[in-house]
Amino acid sequence: MAIGRAGRWFLLPGLVFLFAIDLIPLAYSAWVSCYNWWLIRPRDIRFVGLANYTRFADDPEFSRAVVVTTLFTVGAVLVEFLAGLLLALLFAQPLRFLRPIRVLLLLPLFVVPVVGATMWRVIFHPELGVLNYYLGAIGLSPLPWLSDPRLALVSITLVDAWRTIPFMFLVIYAGLEVLPSELFEAAAVDGASAWQSFRHITVPLLTYIMLLAILIRGMDAFREFDIIFVLTGGGPGTATQTMQMLNYRAFGLGHMGEANAIGIVTLVIVAVMCFVLMRAVLRPQGARG
Amino acid sequence: MKPTRLRATLTGLALVPVLLWTLFPIYWITTASFKTELALYAKPPQWLFTPILDNYTRVLTNIPFFQYLKNSLVIAIGTTLGSLVLGTLAGYGFARFRFRASEAVRFLVLVTRMAPRMVLVVPYYLMMQRLGLLDTYTGLLVAYVSFALPFSIWLLIGFFVDVPLDVEEAAMIDGCSRLGVLIRIVIPIAAPGLVVAAIFAFLVSWNEFLFALILSGVEAKTLPVVIAGLNTDAGPLYGEMSAAAVMVMLPNIVMTLALQRYLVKGLTLGAVKG
Repeated sequence: MAIGRAGRWFLLPGLVFLFAIDLIPLAYSAWVSCYNWWLIRPRDIRFVGLANYTRFADDPEFSRAVVVTTLFTVGAVLVEFLAGLLLALLFAQPLRFLRPIRVLLLLPLFVVPVVGATMWRVIFHPELGVLNYYLGAIGLSPLPWLSDPRLALVSITLVDAWRTIPFMFLVIYAGLEVLPSELFEAAAVDGASAWQSFRHITVPLLTYIMLLAILIRGMDAFREFDIIFVLTGGGPGTATQTMQMLNYRAFGLGHMGEANAIGIVTLVIVAVMCFVLMRAVLRPQGARG
Repeated sequence: MKPTRLRATLTGLALVPVLLWTLFPIYWITTASFKTELALYAKPPQWLFTPILDNYTRVLTNIPFFQYLKNSLVIAIGTTLGSLVLGTLAGYGFARFRFRASEAVRFLVLVTRMAPRMVLVVPYYLMMQRLGLLDTYTGLLVAYVSFALPFSIWLLIGFFVDVPLDVEEAAMIDGCSRLGVLIRIVIPIAAPGLVVAAIFAFLVSWNEFLFALILSGVEAKTLPVVIAGLNTDAGPLYGEMSAAAVMVMLPNIVMTLALQRYLVKGLTLGAVKG
């Protein structure tokens, strides 16, 4: 039963609100990004065309931010996917004691991100932190978790993993739950090993859901802000300065044209990622259906 | 040993590091909030100690915690109500009203969620500045409703589609208007969906940091910004910071544990139903 014409009165308020709140700032941002606009010099706002964008081409700080963001996103999603997949397989076993434990695994996903990052900052503390104490106790040397340029990127990746492995776990686990069990029984009757039935039944049937989870997480990791802000603020130096942090810094310095230009570039990158991955996800789906 | 016993034992062993990794940070900050300064910095780290409440009393008296709590609560409840009203209307519209670009528009709703928030917050800041809405509830509320709305719409479509049509038709024959059907028939049946949507909307607002950091100064400052502010290397106020952090995550933990069945369903709905 269709609602008919009345339907638009149900849809319009929400849709108009949603697109207005997203599209008006975006259009305004694109416009501001073509200006030399420094907040402390309100009289000196000049139209500069695409100069804010062309400058990125030979700005080492910008290219560094692109590299850092890519490393963080790829690393985080890879770790989270593998851990989530293993946990989902672990919890999909028909063992009764697993059910009540399941919810405990989800907690990090629901904790306030700033609070989660704060917990890890306490744990990572070079002198007072519990992690370095026990490293020392078992005879290893303490590590500068957040102050070493290379290790800092690994540390923020770990904290991101702590927070969002539950998401990967949940999505893949839900996918496993709805797989028809007859397939596995038939495979077992035919003498398939656990690995064979994983490789030839589970993986093909879950490809769509796994790609979807990677897609969503990839775009979330790309724009991660809270955890990096609390743990390192982009430092030491520019070691963990992702494009989001660079954008925040430009904003903090009052360079509105530049900040908006960085924002538009990240938006374009996320849109391309979204498009490419969507095609990869949707094509096999179309071929099957 | 039977194979299932062996399997159960191995699974149990594998769970130990998993649970340690997942729960230790939460456990550690919670215990830290009940420790004296001496116990906090003790080496080796103290696992057994006499709990004290000093950190809590200090946080509650040294900073206007209740003011920030009120800010966070008012904005989160406003976000919940706003996204429920708009989400219910739009979700019902999508569930029952087919038009040519229906699928595409539904997909576009989801795409709006993908934009990096940093892209939005800078122009949003400039616009709110013009409108005189910086550091107000309204400025944050409007942004948060737009964050929570796409998920609410998608979630509620799933619940509304499952409401049997003949119940709705019967009510219409009895003279109920469309809106009347939605309010009197559909919403009561789909109530669990609304509960899930409400919790998610609340948490979106309660957890949000970037917009709060940039748009709020003193008046509308929310709790995540307060926590980030307490977190400094210069003078690690670990006790007070831990106490504040525990109070801020308490609603999240309680909601997650109390409504786990719905949360699992809500989070996976979109992914599994495709």
